[in-house]
Amino acid sequence: MASGNMKDIKRRIRSVESTMQITKAMELVASSKLRRAKERVEQVRPYFYALQETVSRVLRENRFSSVYTEQRAVKKSLFVVIAGDRGLAGGYNAGVLKLATAEMADKQVSVLTIGKKAQEYFGKRSYEVLADYPGVAESMTISEIHPITADLLARFRAGEIDEIYLCYTAFVSPMTQEPRVVRLLPAVSADDSKVTDKKQGLVECDPSPETVLNAIIPEYISGTIYGAVVESYASEQSARRMAMESASDNASEMIESLNLSYNRARQAAITQEITEIVAGSGAVGG
Amino acid sequence: MATFRLRVLTAEKKFFEGDIDRCIVRTVTGDVGILPNHVAYLAPLGVGGLTIYQNGKPRLAAVTNGFIEVSGGQATIIAHTCEWADEIDLNRAEQAKKRAEAQVQSSKAGDTEFAHAQIKLKKAMNRIRSAQK
Repeated sequence: MASGNMKDIKRRIRSVESTMQITKAMELVASSKLRRAKERVEQVRPYFYALQETVSRVLRENRFSSVYTEQRAVKKSLFVVIAGDRGLAGGYNAGVLKLATAEMADKQVSVLTIGKKAQEYFGKRSYEVLADYPGVAESMTISEIHPITADLLARFRAGEIDEIYLCYTAFVSPMTQEPRVVRLLPAVSADDSKVTDKKQGLVECDPSPETVLNAIIPEYISGTIYGAVVESYASEQSARRMAMESASDNASEMIESLNLSYNRARQAAITQEITEIVAGSGAVGG
Repeated sequence: MATFRLRVLTAEKKFFEGDIDRCIVRTVTGDVGILPNHVAYLAPLGVGGLTIYQNGKPRLAAVTNGFIEVSGGQATIIAHTCEWADEIDLNRAEQAKKRAEAQVQSSKAGDTEFAHAQIKLKKAMNRIRSAQK
Protein backbone atom coordinates (compact mmCIF):
# COMPACT_ATOMS: atom_id res chain seq x y z
CA MET A 1 0.00 0.00 0.00
CA ALA A 2 2.83 2.33 0.87
CA SER A 3 4.53 1.85 -2.50
CA GLY A 4 1.24 2.60 -4.29
CA ASN A 5 0.97 5.84 -2.41
CA MET A 6 4.55 6.70 -3.33
CA LYS A 7 3.86 6.09 -7.00
CA ASP A 8 0.85 8.39 -6.84
CA ILE A 9 2.86 11.17 -5.30
CA LYS A 10 5.66 10.71 -7.82
CA ARG A 11 3.14 11.02 -10.66
CA ARG A 12 1.67 14.17 -9.21
CA ILE A 13 5.09 15.72 -8.80
CA ARG A 14 5.86 15.01 -12.44
CA SER A 15 2.59 16.50 -13.58
CA VAL A 16 3.08 19.66 -11.54
CA GLU A 17 6.62 19.94 -12.84
CA SER A 18 5.52 19.82 -16.44
CA THR A 19 2.83 22.44 -15.75
CA MET A 20 5.47 24.61 -14.17
CA GLN A 21 7.64 24.26 -17.24
CA ILE A 22 4.81 25.63 -19.33
CA THR A 23 4.00 28.52 -17.01
CA LYS A 24 7.71 29.40 -16.79
CA ALA A 25 7.97 29.46 -20.57
CA MET A 26 4.83 31.58 -20.87
CA GLU A 27 6.18 33.96 -18.29
CA LEU A 28 9.40 34.39 -20.25
CA VAL A 29 7.56 34.92 -23.52
CA ALA A 30 5.23 37.44 -21.92
CA SER A 31 8.04 39.39 -20.34
CA SER A 32 9.96 39.69 -23.60
CA LYS A 33 6.76 40.76 -25.38
CA LEU A 34 6.05 43.16 -22.58
CA ARG A 35 9.40 44.83 -23.06
CA ARG A 36 8.62 45.53 -26.71
CA ALA A 37 5.06 46.59 -25.91
CA LYS A 38 6.31 49.01 -23.28
CA GLU A 39 8.65 50.64 -25.76
CA ARG A 40 5.72 51.06 -28.12
CA VAL A 41 3.63 52.65 -25.38
CA GLU A 42 6.41 55.11 -24.68
CA GLN A 43 6.67 56.00 -28.34
CA VAL A 44 2.97 56.59 -28.73
CA ARG A 45 2.43 58.61 -25.58
CA PRO A 46 3.94 61.96 -26.68
CA TYR A 47 1.88 61.83 -29.87
CA PHE A 48 -1.22 60.85 -28.01
CA TYR A 49 -0.87 63.52 -25.33
CA ALA A 50 -0.16 66.26 -27.88
CA LEU A 51 -3.24 65.18 -29.80
CA GLN A 52 -5.42 65.19 -26.74
CA GLU A 53 -4.14 68.55 -25.60
CA THR A 54 -4.82 70.15 -28.95
CA VAL A 55 -8.31 68.75 -29.22
CA SER A 56 -9.32 69.80 -25.74
CA ARG A 57 -7.87 73.26 -26.32
CA VAL A 58 -9.77 73.64 -29.56
CA LEU A 59 -13.00 72.47 -27.99
CA ARG A 60 -12.55 74.78 -25.05
CA GLU A 61 -11.62 77.94 -26.88
CA ASN A 62 -13.90 77.96 -29.83
CA ARG A 63 -17.38 77.13 -28.88
CA PHE A 64 -18.43 76.50 -32.42
CA SER A 65 -20.72 73.70 -33.36
CA SER A 66 -19.92 70.73 -35.47
CA VAL A 67 -21.56 67.38 -36.13
CA TYR A 68 -18.98 65.87 -33.84
CA THR A 69 -19.64 68.05 -30.82
CA GLU A 70 -23.39 68.36 -31.04
CA GLN A 71 -25.29 66.57 -28.28
CA ARG A 72 -28.25 64.68 -29.61
CA ALA A 73 -30.83 62.30 -28.23
CA VAL A 74 -29.10 58.97 -27.81
CA LYS A 75 -30.81 56.11 -29.54
CA LYS A 76 -27.85 53.92 -30.27
CA SER A 77 -24.41 53.74 -28.73
CA LEU A 78 -21.38 52.12 -30.22
CA PHE A 79 -18.78 50.51 -28.02
CA VAL A 80 -15.29 49.83 -29.25
CA VAL A 81 -14.04 47.09 -26.95
CA ILE A 82 -10.41 46.07 -26.88
CA ALA A 83 -9.50 42.75 -25.23
CA GLY A 84 -6.80 40.15 -25.72
CA ASP A 85 -6.47 37.35 -28.25
CA ARG A 86 -5.61 34.68 -25.71
CA GLY A 87 -6.61 33.72 -22.21
CA LEU A 88 -4.39 32.87 -19.27
CA ALA A 89 -3.74 36.51 -18.54
CA GLY A 90 -5.10 36.77 -15.04
CA GLY A 91 -8.06 39.09 -14.80
CA TYR A 92 -7.17 41.05 -17.93
CA ASN A 93 -9.94 39.94 -20.29
CA ALA A 94 -12.54 39.50 -17.58
CA GLY A 95 -11.85 42.97 -16.20
CA VAL A 96 -12.35 44.92 -19.39
CA LEU A 97 -15.29 42.83 -20.59
CA LYS A 98 -17.06 43.18 -17.25
CA LEU A 99 -16.62 46.94 -17.30
CA ALA A 100 -17.87 47.11 -20.88
CA THR A 101 -20.96 45.05 -20.06
CA ALA A 102 -21.70 47.19 -17.03
CA GLU A 103 -21.47 50.37 -19.11
CA MET A 104 -23.69 48.92 -21.80
CA ALA A 105 -26.51 48.13 -19.41
CA ASP A 106 -29.74 49.96 -20.30
CA LYS A 107 -28.39 51.24 -23.60
CA GLN A 108 -29.08 50.30 -27.17
CA VAL A 109 -25.67 49.16 -28.24
CA SER A 110 -23.68 47.80 -31.08
CA VAL A 111 -20.15 46.62 -30.58
CA LEU A 112 -16.91 46.78 -32.50
CA THR A 113 -14.41 44.33 -31.07
CA ILE A 114 -10.65 44.25 -31.28
CA GLY A 115 -9.15 40.99 -30.02
CA LYS A 116 -10.43 37.42 -30.17
CA LYS A 117 -11.66 37.27 -26.59
CA ALA A 118 -13.92 40.29 -27.05
CA GLN A 119 -15.22 38.83 -30.29
CA GLU A 120 -16.06 35.51 -28.62
CA TYR A 121 -17.65 37.20 -25.64
CA PHE A 122 -19.98 39.49 -27.54
CA GLY A 123 -20.54 37.06 -30.39
CA LYS A 124 -21.91 34.46 -27.99
CA ARG A 125 -24.29 36.85 -26.30
CA SER A 126 -27.04 38.67 -28.11
CA TYR A 127 -25.10 41.81 -28.98
CA GLU A 128 -25.05 43.38 -32.36
CA VAL A 129 -21.44 43.13 -33.46
CA LEU A 130 -20.68 45.68 -36.13
CA ALA A 131 -17.21 44.45 -37.00
CA ASP A 132 -14.43 42.50 -35.37
CA TYR A 133 -10.70 42.60 -35.70
CA PRO A 134 -9.20 39.52 -34.05
CA GLY A 135 -5.47 38.96 -33.77
CA VAL A 136 -4.29 42.41 -34.80
CA ALA A 137 -3.18 44.06 -31.57
CA GLU A 138 0.43 42.93 -31.62
CA SER A 139 1.39 44.47 -34.93
CA MET A 140 -1.35 47.00 -35.54
CA THR A 141 -0.29 50.25 -37.16
CA ILE A 142 -2.21 53.47 -37.16
CA SER A 143 -2.75 53.30 -40.91
CA GLU A 144 -4.93 50.24 -40.31
CA ILE A 145 -7.07 52.26 -37.94
CA HIS A 146 -7.79 55.18 -40.26
CA PRO A 147 -10.28 53.21 -42.40
CA ILE A 148 -12.02 51.92 -39.25
CA THR A 149 -12.35 55.48 -37.98
CA ALA A 150 -13.61 56.68 -41.35
CA ASP A 151 -16.31 54.02 -41.23
CA LEU A 152 -17.32 54.89 -37.66
CA LEU A 153 -17.49 58.59 -38.45
CA ALA A 154 -19.59 57.98 -41.55
CA ARG A 155 -22.07 56.04 -39.42
CA PHE A 156 -22.00 58.76 -36.81
CA ARG A 157 -22.68 61.48 -39.35
CA ALA A 158 -25.48 59.45 -40.90
CA GLY A 159 -27.12 59.18 -37.49
CA GLU A 160 -26.83 55.39 -37.28
CA ILE A 161 -25.02 55.82 -34.01
CA ASP A 162 -25.24 58.70 -31.60
CA GLU A 163 -22.40 57.99 -29.22
CA ILE A 164 -19.06 56.24 -29.43
CA TYR A 165 -17.38 54.78 -26.39
CA LEU A 166 -14.01 53.14 -26.11
CA CYS A 167 -13.27 50.37 -23.58
CA TYR A 168 -9.67 49.46 -23.04
CA THR A 169 -7.16 48.63 -20.37
CA ALA A 170 -4.77 51.40 -19.39
CA PHE A 171 -1.19 50.40 -18.76
CA VAL A 172 -0.53 52.26 -15.52
CA SER A 173 2.59 50.36 -14.54
CA PRO A 174 3.89 46.82 -15.03
CA MET A 175 2.10 45.93 -11.79
CA THR A 176 -1.20 47.76 -12.33
CA GLN A 177 -3.53 47.79 -15.27
CA GLU A 178 -6.83 49.52 -15.17
CA PRO A 179 -9.88 48.91 -17.37
CA ARG A 180 -11.31 52.23 -18.54
CA VAL A 181 -14.19 53.62 -20.58
CA VAL A 182 -13.94 56.92 -22.41
CA ARG A 183 -16.45 58.63 -24.62
CA LEU A 184 -15.02 59.57 -27.99
CA LEU A 185 -18.05 61.20 -29.57
CA PRO A 186 -19.77 63.55 -29.26
CA ALA A 187 -16.59 65.31 -28.22
CA VAL A 188 -16.87 67.67 -25.32
CA SER A 189 -14.23 69.93 -23.93
CA ALA A 190 -12.47 68.55 -20.90
CA ASP A 191 -14.02 69.84 -17.69
CA ASP A 192 -13.44 73.58 -17.48
CA SER A 193 -12.64 73.45 -13.80
CA LYS A 194 -9.17 72.18 -14.58
CA VAL A 195 -8.34 74.99 -16.97
CA THR A 196 -5.38 76.92 -15.68
CA ASP A 197 -4.18 78.74 -18.78
CA LYS A 198 -7.26 80.86 -19.24
CA LYS A 199 -5.38 83.88 -20.45
CA GLN A 200 -4.50 82.21 -23.72
CA GLY A 201 -5.78 84.11 -26.72
CA LEU A 202 -8.04 82.86 -29.39
CA VAL A 203 -6.53 80.46 -31.84
CA GLU A 204 -6.39 81.51 -35.44
CA CYS A 205 -7.77 78.68 -37.52
CA ASP A 206 -7.04 78.19 -41.16
CA PRO A 207 -9.22 78.03 -43.23
CA SER A 208 -12.08 78.00 -40.68
CA PRO A 209 -12.64 76.60 -37.20
CA GLU A 210 -15.20 74.11 -38.51
CA THR A 211 -12.87 72.77 -41.18
CA VAL A 212 -10.08 72.47 -38.68
CA LEU A 213 -12.23 70.64 -36.17
CA ASN A 214 -13.63 68.32 -38.79
CA ALA A 215 -10.08 67.50 -39.87
CA ILE A 216 -8.77 67.03 -36.36
CA ILE A 217 -11.54 64.88 -34.93
CA PRO A 218 -10.79 61.88 -37.17
CA GLU A 219 -7.10 62.22 -36.23
CA TYR A 220 -8.09 62.33 -32.62
CA ILE A 221 -10.32 59.25 -32.83
CA SER A 222 -7.72 57.24 -34.74
CA GLY A 223 -4.99 58.34 -32.38
CA THR A 224 -7.04 57.48 -29.33
CA ILE A 225 -8.02 54.05 -30.61
CA TYR A 226 -4.42 53.36 -31.60
CA GLY A 227 -3.18 54.52 -28.21
CA ALA A 228 -5.75 52.30 -26.52
CA VAL A 229 -4.75 49.25 -28.59
CA VAL A 230 -1.11 49.76 -27.71
CA GLU A 231 -1.86 50.30 -24.03
CA SER A 232 -4.17 47.29 -23.89
CA TYR A 233 -1.59 45.07 -25.52
CA ALA A 234 1.05 46.09 -23.00
CA SER A 235 -1.48 45.52 -20.20
CA GLU A 236 -2.29 42.07 -21.53
CA GLN A 237 1.35 41.06 -21.59
CA SER A 238 2.06 42.36 -18.14
CA ALA A 239 -1.10 40.76 -16.72
CA ARG A 240 -0.05 37.46 -18.29
CA ARG A 241 3.46 37.79 -16.97
CA MET A 242 2.17 38.37 -13.46
CA ALA A 243 -0.35 35.53 -13.65
CA MET A 244 2.28 33.13 -14.93
CA GLU A 245 4.75 34.24 -12.33
CA SER A 246 2.35 33.46 -9.50
CA ALA A 247 1.39 30.17 -11.19
CA SER A 248 5.06 29.17 -11.32
CA ASP A 249 5.48 30.17 -7.70
CA ASN A 250 2.48 28.09 -6.71
CA ALA A 251 3.78 25.14 -8.67
CA SER A 252 7.17 25.22 -7.01
CA GLU A 253 5.51 25.47 -3.60
CA MET A 254 3.36 22.49 -4.46
CA ILE A 255 6.33 20.48 -5.64
CA GLU A 256 8.09 21.22 -2.40
CA SER A 257 5.24 19.97 -0.25
CA LEU A 258 4.71 16.95 -2.48
CA ASN A 259 8.40 16.11 -2.18
CA LEU A 260 8.04 16.27 1.55
CA SER A 261 5.12 13.85 1.57
CA TYR A 262 6.98 11.62 -0.88
CA ASN A 263 9.98 11.42 1.43
CA ARG A 264 7.73 10.78 4.38
CA ALA A 265 6.00 7.94 2.56
CA ARG A 266 9.36 6.53 1.51
CA GLN A 267 10.61 6.68 5.08
CA ALA A 268 7.45 5.01 6.34
CA ALA A 269 7.82 2.23 3.80
CA ILE A 270 11.42 1.61 4.81
CA THR A 271 10.59 1.60 8.51
CA GLN A 272 7.77 -0.83 7.92
CA GLU A 273 10.01 -3.12 5.93
CA ILE A 274 12.63 -3.14 8.67
CA THR A 275 9.99 -3.86 11.26
CA GLU A 276 8.71 -6.74 9.17
CA ILE A 277 12.21 -8.18 8.68
CA VAL A 278 13.04 -7.87 12.36
CA ALA A 279 9.76 -9.44 13.33
CA GLY A 280 10.28 -12.21 10.75
CA SER A 281 13.84 -12.99 11.87
CA GLY A 282 12.65 -12.97 15.51
CA ALA A 283 9.99 -15.51 14.65
CA VAL A 284 12.46 -17.75 12.77
CA GLY A 285 15.30 -17.45 15.31
CA GLY A 286 13.03 -17.83 18.35
CA MET B 1 18.50 85.05 -34.17
CA ALA B 2 15.32 84.15 -32.41
CA THR B 3 14.33 80.52 -32.43
CA PHE B 4 11.31 78.55 -31.35
CA ARG B 5 10.64 74.97 -30.43
CA LEU B 6 9.17 72.62 -32.98
CA ARG B 7 7.97 69.11 -32.33
CA VAL B 8 7.03 66.76 -35.13
CA LEU B 9 5.17 63.71 -33.90
CA THR B 10 3.79 60.65 -35.63
CA ALA B 11 2.10 57.68 -34.03
CA GLU B 12 5.23 55.60 -34.63
CA LYS B 13 7.79 57.92 -33.13
CA LYS B 14 8.88 61.38 -32.18
CA PHE B 15 10.19 62.47 -35.54
CA PHE B 16 11.81 65.76 -34.64
CA GLU B 17 12.18 68.01 -31.64
CA GLY B 18 14.39 71.06 -31.50
CA ASP B 19 14.79 74.82 -31.58
CA ILE B 20 14.53 76.12 -35.10
CA ASP B 21 14.71 79.43 -36.97
CA ARG B 22 11.65 78.89 -39.12
CA CYS B 23 9.70 76.23 -40.94
CA ILE B 24 7.51 76.01 -43.98
CA VAL B 25 4.75 73.45 -44.15
CA ARG B 26 2.03 72.56 -46.64
CA THR B 27 -1.44 73.02 -45.15
CA VAL B 28 -4.68 72.27 -46.95
CA THR B 29 -4.83 75.88 -48.12
CA GLY B 30 -1.20 76.16 -49.22
CA ASP B 31 2.32 76.58 -47.89
CA VAL B 32 2.56 78.38 -44.57
CA GLY B 33 5.76 79.71 -43.04
CA ILE B 34 6.06 79.81 -39.26
CA LEU B 35 8.48 82.25 -37.65
CA PRO B 36 9.23 82.76 -33.97
CA ASN B 37 6.46 84.47 -31.96
CA HIS B 38 3.78 83.33 -34.33
CA VAL B 39 0.21 83.88 -33.18
CA ALA B 40 -1.68 80.84 -31.89
CA TYR B 41 -2.53 78.94 -35.02
CA LEU B 42 -4.12 75.70 -36.07
CA ALA B 43 -4.44 74.19 -39.53
CA PRO B 44 -4.86 70.76 -41.06
CA LEU B 45 -1.99 69.61 -43.29
CA GLY B 46 -2.17 68.42 -46.84
CA VAL B 47 0.29 66.22 -48.66
CA GLY B 48 3.53 68.06 -49.24
CA GLY B 49 6.87 69.19 -47.99
CA LEU B 50 8.02 70.39 -44.61
CA THR B 51 11.16 72.50 -44.61
CA ILE B 52 12.86 73.07 -41.29
CA TYR B 53 15.50 75.80 -41.04
CA GLN B 54 17.79 75.04 -38.16
CA ASN B 55 21.00 77.05 -37.62
CA GLY B 56 20.41 78.66 -41.00
CA LYS B 57 20.40 75.34 -42.85
CA PRO B 58 17.23 73.93 -44.39
CA ARG B 59 16.23 70.29 -44.19
CA LEU B 60 13.36 68.93 -46.19
CA ALA B 61 10.90 66.25 -45.17
CA ALA B 62 7.78 64.80 -46.78
CA VAL B 63 4.64 64.94 -44.64
CA THR B 64 1.16 63.65 -45.20
CA ASN B 65 -1.99 64.70 -43.36
CA GLY B 66 -2.35 65.60 -39.73
CA PHE B 67 -2.20 69.16 -38.50
CA ILE B 68 0.03 71.92 -37.19
CA GLU B 69 -0.61 73.78 -33.99
CA VAL B 70 1.21 76.83 -32.70
CA SER B 71 0.53 77.85 -29.14
CA GLY B 72 2.52 79.41 -26.36
CA GLY B 73 5.51 80.05 -28.62
CA GLN B 74 5.74 76.35 -29.49
CA ALA B 75 4.83 74.57 -32.67
CA THR B 76 3.60 71.00 -32.84
CA ILE B 77 3.08 69.05 -36.02
CA ILE B 78 1.10 65.86 -35.73
CA ALA B 79 1.31 63.90 -38.95
CA HIS B 80 0.22 60.55 -40.37
CA THR B 81 3.62 60.01 -41.89
CA CYS B 82 6.76 62.05 -42.01
CA GLU B 83 10.17 61.22 -43.41
CA TRP B 84 13.34 63.10 -44.22
CA ALA B 85 13.76 63.67 -47.93
CA ASP B 86 17.34 62.38 -47.84
CA GLU B 87 16.18 59.12 -46.30
CA ILE B 88 13.48 58.34 -48.83
CA ASP B 89 14.18 55.28 -50.93
CA LEU B 90 13.57 56.61 -54.41
CA ASN B 91 13.18 53.16 -55.97
CA ARG B 92 10.50 52.15 -53.52
CA ALA B 93 8.71 55.43 -54.01
CA GLU B 94 8.75 54.96 -57.80
CA GLN B 95 7.32 51.48 -57.38
CA ALA B 96 4.60 52.76 -55.09
CA LYS B 97 3.78 55.40 -57.65
CA LYS B 98 3.47 52.79 -60.42
CA ARG B 99 1.24 50.63 -58.25
CA ALA B 100 -0.95 53.58 -57.41
CA GLU B 101 -1.19 54.59 -61.07
CA ALA B 102 -2.27 51.11 -62.03
CA GLN B 103 -4.90 51.20 -59.30
CA VAL B 104 -6.21 54.57 -60.43
CA GLN B 105 -6.57 53.22 -63.93
CA SER B 106 -8.27 49.98 -62.93
CA SER B 107 -10.86 51.53 -60.62
CA LYS B 108 -13.80 53.70 -61.61
CA ALA B 109 -13.92 57.38 -60.84
CA GLY B 110 -16.12 58.10 -57.86
CA ASP B 111 -15.35 54.81 -56.13
CA THR B 112 -13.81 54.85 -52.69
CA GLU B 113 -11.11 52.65 -54.17
CA PHE B 114 -10.43 55.29 -56.77
CA ALA B 115 -10.18 57.95 -54.09
CA HIS B 116 -7.79 55.80 -52.08
CA ALA B 117 -5.63 55.12 -55.11
CA GLN B 118 -5.51 58.81 -55.90
CA ILE B 119 -4.37 59.63 -52.38
CA LYS B 120 -1.73 56.94 -52.62
CA LEU B 121 -0.55 58.35 -55.92
CA LYS B 122 -0.38 61.82 -54.47
CA LYS B 123 1.67 60.59 -51.53
CA ALA B 124 4.08 58.68 -53.75
CA MET B 125 4.54 61.70 -56.00
CA ASN B 126 5.14 63.89 -52.97
CA ARG B 127 7.86 61.55 -51.73
CA ILE B 128 9.53 61.45 -55.12
CA ARG B 129 9.37 65.22 -55.44
CA SER B 130 10.82 65.71 -51.97
CA ALA B 131 13.59 63.20 -52.55
CA GLN B 132 14.65 64.78 -55.80
CA LYS B 133 14.99 68.30 -54.44
